[in-house]
This record gives sequence, C-alpha cells and structure tokens, in this order.
Amino acid sequence: MSKHTLHLAQAQLHGLVSDLLAAGTAVIAPAADGEDRVEYTRLASPAALSLDARPLSPLKGFLFPRSEPLFSYEQRGKDVTLHPVSAEFSPRVVLGALPCDAGGLAVMDAVMGWDYRDEPWFGRRAATTILSIVCPHADDSCFCSAVGLHADSPRGADLLLVPVDGGFQVQVHSDKGAAFVDQHAARFAEQPAGSAEQARAFRQRCRDRVQGNLDLDPPAMRSWIESSFAHSLWSEIALACHGCGACTMVCPTCHCFDIVDEQEGVGRGTRRRNWDGCQYELFTLHGGGHNPRPDQGARYRQRISHKFAIYPDRFDELLCTGCGRCVRDCPAGIDLLEILDRVQALAEPPTDELLRAAPGGAS
Amino acid sequence: MNLYQPHLMRVTERIPETHDTTTLRLEFQDPQAADAFSFQAGQFAEYSIFGEGECTFCIASSPTRGGVIECSFKSVGKVTKALARADVGDTVGFRGPYGNAFPLRDWEGGNLLFIAGGIGLAPVRCVIWNALDWRDRFKDITIVYGARSVGDLVYKRELREWSARDDVRCVQTVDPGGETEDWTGQVGFVPTVLDQVAPAAEDTWAVVCGPPIMIKFTLPVLQKLGFPSERIFTTLENRMKCGLGKCGRCNIGRVYVCKDGPVFSATELDALPPDM
Repeated sequence: MSKHTLHLAQAQLHGLVSDLLAAGTAVIAPAADGEDRVEYTRLASPAALSLDARPLSPLKGFLFPRSEPLFSYEQRGKDVTLHPVSAEFSPRVVLGALPCDAGGLAVMDAVMGWDYRDEPWFGRRAATTILSIVCPHADDSCFCSAVGLHADSPRGADLLLVPVDGGFQVQVHSDKGAAFVDQHAARFAEQPAGSAEQARAFRQRCRDRVQGNLDLDPPAMRSWIESSFAHSLWSEIALACHGCGACTMVCPTCHCFDIVDEQEGVGRGTRRRNWDGCQYELFTLHGGGHNPRPDQGARYRQRISHKFAIYPDRFDELLCTGCGRCVRDCPAGIDLLEILDRVQALAEPPTDELLRAAPGGAS
Repeated sequence: MNLYQPHLMRVTERIPETHDTTTLRLEFQDPQAADAFSFQAGQFAEYSIFGEGECTFCIASSPTRGGVIECSFKSVGKVTKALARADVGDTVGFRGPYGNAFPLRDWEGGNLLFIAGGIGLAPVRCVIWNALDWRDRFKDITIVYGARSVGDLVYKRELREWSARDDVRCVQTVDPGGETEDWTGQVGFVPTVLDQVAPAAEDTWAVVCGPPIMIKFTLPVLQKLGFPSERIFTTLENRMKCGLGKCGRCNIGRVYVCKDGPVFSATELDALPPDM
C-alpha cells in the first residue's frame, strides 16, 4: 500500500459525492433531517451533506441492519424450499464517519469472524469504503481517549479527513483507500503549503477536547469486574434503569441479535435477524421458565462485563469506543462515565499514603 | 447461502415420550449433506419449523448410529410446540453440530456413571449409546435415572433394554408419590438413590444432567462418594439463537456456552460466576 497524504478542496467535496452518485455508488454521510437532527443517511444529493454535527445514531446499522433477511422459505405440502439472500453487496462509500463509529466496526470484526465467518457482515464490510473525519464534536459524554481511540483515530477507516483551510487533508490508511483516491484522482490535489501544520494542530485540539473527560486502566477494571460478580454496584445502578435497552441500540459495538421467522402469507416467509439487547428480560429467559439473569442488576452487570471484561478476555478489545451515545440517550440519566469512574476507583488498590492515613492503617 | 441457513431434514419417526415430551428422528433431504455430516456425543444443534422459528437442543442420538439425528424436547414454547406437531414426512430445519463434546475417548478403560433427571436424559442418552456401541472400551457402566413420576420417564423402551442387559447396571427411580402400583423401580429423589447405589468412584467418570435442583443436590453426593470435580461432567443449555458465538446471550462470566461448552467439567463450572 502506498501511504500518502493528499488534499481535498472544499469545492471538490460535493463534486466527489456527485461523481459517486452518478456512478451508482451509494454515499452514506451525516445529513440533517427535516427537524435538524443529524443522522448517517444515504444521500440523494450532495446538498444534504452535513459534516458539522455528530450523527445521533451510530454507523453500525448500515453494516448490521436493525432487521435483515437471512433466507426465505416456501412450503408446499410437506416440502420446503429455501431461497438464500444475495451475498452480493453493491459498493458504498461512507463519507464523514466519526472515529468512534468507524472504530466500532473494526471492534465488531473480531466477533463476526470468530471461527464462523458472518457473511452478511463481511460482505457489507468488503463493499464499503470508509472516509473518517477527525471529530471536533466532543462533549462531556465523550470518552474515546479512555478506551484506546482518539478524536483523530484512523481505526476502521480507509481514508482519514482532517479539516484544514480550504478543505481537508486526506490520509490514506488502507489499500481500499488508496484505490479510492486513484479512482477519483481528479478530485484530489497535492497538499498546499502550511496544510500539514494546520492538520497537526487541528488533530491535537480535537484530542485535547476529549482527553480530560475520563481516565481508565482497562486491565485493572477487567480484573475487578471478573472478581466482583456479587458487588452491590450492579443492583445500585439497576435501581435507576428502566431496562429500555436504548443504550444497546445506540451503541456502535453492541451486536446482540435475535433470529425470528416472519410469515409473509400462507406457507411462505423470511427468517430474519433483528437487533436484540442484554437489557431485556426475554433475552436470556429459558423455555422452561428459568432466567439466568432474572433482574436488571444482573442484566446491567452483563452489559458492563461484556464490554470491559468478556470481550477483552476473548478478543483483546474493549467493546466500547467511548462515543457517549448511551449516556446522552439514557432516559434515566445513567452515566457510563460515572459508572466507569466508580469501577476504576474500586479497581485501584488504595495507595500506601491512603493506608497510612486510615485509622489503624500501616504505620 | 450463509451460516444461518439450515439443512432441510425429513421427519422419519415421531415418538411421543410423555404427555409433554417428544422425540423426532430426522434424516437429511440432501444426500450430500448427509455424507458430509458428522458429530460427537454432547454437541448441540438449532432445530426449526419454518414460520415458527428455531430452538436449541443437544443431538440425542449417538454418533455411532450414523446418518440419523434424533432430538427430544419438552413442549414449552412456540417452536417446541410446533416441532411436537410435526408429522412423519414433514420438513424440519437443522443447523449444527455446534459446541464441544464429552471427552469420551479420554475415558476409555474407566468406569462410566450416568446420572440424569427428567428430560436431562436426552444429552446423556447420546453418550450412553455411544459408550454401549464401544462397550469393550469401558469397564462398569451404571445409569441412575429419575423423573417426577412414572409417566414422566423418557425413553422407556430403552430403559427396559438397558435394564435387561447384563453389562449395564440401570437404576430407575421416581419421586415419592410419582410411583404407580406396578412400578418395580426405586422411589426417591435422584441424589438419595445415587447415595444408596453408591457406585465406586475409583477410575470412574460421571456425567450428570437434569434440572438445576437435581444437579445441586447430586454434586455433594458424588463428592461424598469420592468423585473429584475433574471427573464429573455436565452439559448446559442456555438460551441461544445463533449457536456460533455471535448473538451474545449464552455467556456465563467469560464463557460462551455455545463455543466453550455446552459440556463442562465440575472443575470448570466451579471457576465460573453463578450467572446461570
């Protein structure tokens, strides 16, 4: 892969989108809806593009749809015919993915490829070129820097765009990214003088904005979680939790799903996979009535454990990119930063100084 | 065709076991799929009725009886009720085999003790038939099986067959009050009966499967009889959807039951949090 850096002038941005749309390539980018909510949207025209706000929902739904067909079935008497769904996915470009969203896709690759390869996931992954953009939108709910990413992380991206005067610095981060800039060479230019310095400064400013929000020691947290199954923290959090599962739906890394049959008339229908979540009572309820996670405390413990202990244990990855959506969208105001801060405090053994200060402590 | 698309199977026999439990015998409709298929005792699968959905049970037949798959299940939900209505000739979906297996090869030369309660005999039956088909590789084989009542005993014809064999010790019991006038087996809970049967622990591997309450009271009896945890095995049946380590619901602590299990030794279970 040739690793190089280019420039995309602001004036070329809409042209690039038009080129893609004209070639029949779907372009997914942040766009405002009628009520000024910004979401990742399949663009109908370049005018809808809106790179100055954080999309409310993560990108994952474009690669792991809320509901997707696995195959369809047709019954005739005692016989059944199955019709596979297409494994072909037409090319798509994501323009302006946030690092926490593109990073989430890279995190999910681990479970989707674990021994058994999830074809719909990897089919869409292969068909999708991702242009991430350095994120200047950090607010108090963001903590990507505490979970191994940064506001300017290229993880999961084929190209990284860094806003500079008059446009974007474009960094190539994969073969797919290199092929993309080659294919659209007319839209890209050499870096103008001073651009590299501006890009560096912008990236630093964006990193700094989120840096102070949370500081974690993931290995220490993991071992605390693994040894604190019966801790009162879990039931305490659950007192506030409605079990609505919004946190799992807006999470860029939550990937739990259900498999159900949907009848579409007599003797025919589709088996689909639908998003599901660990916060629901039915998620683990056995047919016989037993539920291994019978209360919200057990279910919340699973959420934190899966993200910060189980997934790291299995895949050496945190199942969280610090996007902050679960904090912003929780109707009960449950703040993951506060929870992780508490877990972190519990995970840190008291320092010698504190022990000495404690009554009856070491002298 | 993706990972989630099942094989089509033909129901070739339907055996009502009890008022709420059914065994289905299934054969692959595609002869190539039948040839390519193999499994080991203890593995599980996803069974489906199209239009109703999928559910998870062990393969209850032995891998030594090739070409055929049997499953036994209680009608408790939408899919199991639909499966129970399946007639001979009907089409059923099948994905598998998934998960690990009982390390039966490692047990060769030893004694085997099978303890089961209710429908818990289904996964154990698979190992029993596998061991009986390899009879000369094992020393004593003891089966202790109990159900709530005589009517709740599954695989009655096979229990008779095992009881009639002189190379198997098969003890059947029903809970107090569950006996009938002509009942010739024991009356008492499985742990109590196991204590009375008192199989020798030396050189013996135990397979235990049944309702959680039975397992809870059986483990101390095994301990008292001198069984070390690493020679006691069970199989867990958490709710699953994919069976492939992806759908996220079968974890017990760090363990994915569908990939690391469903078979675990008591030593492995002891190391897990009580998330079950």
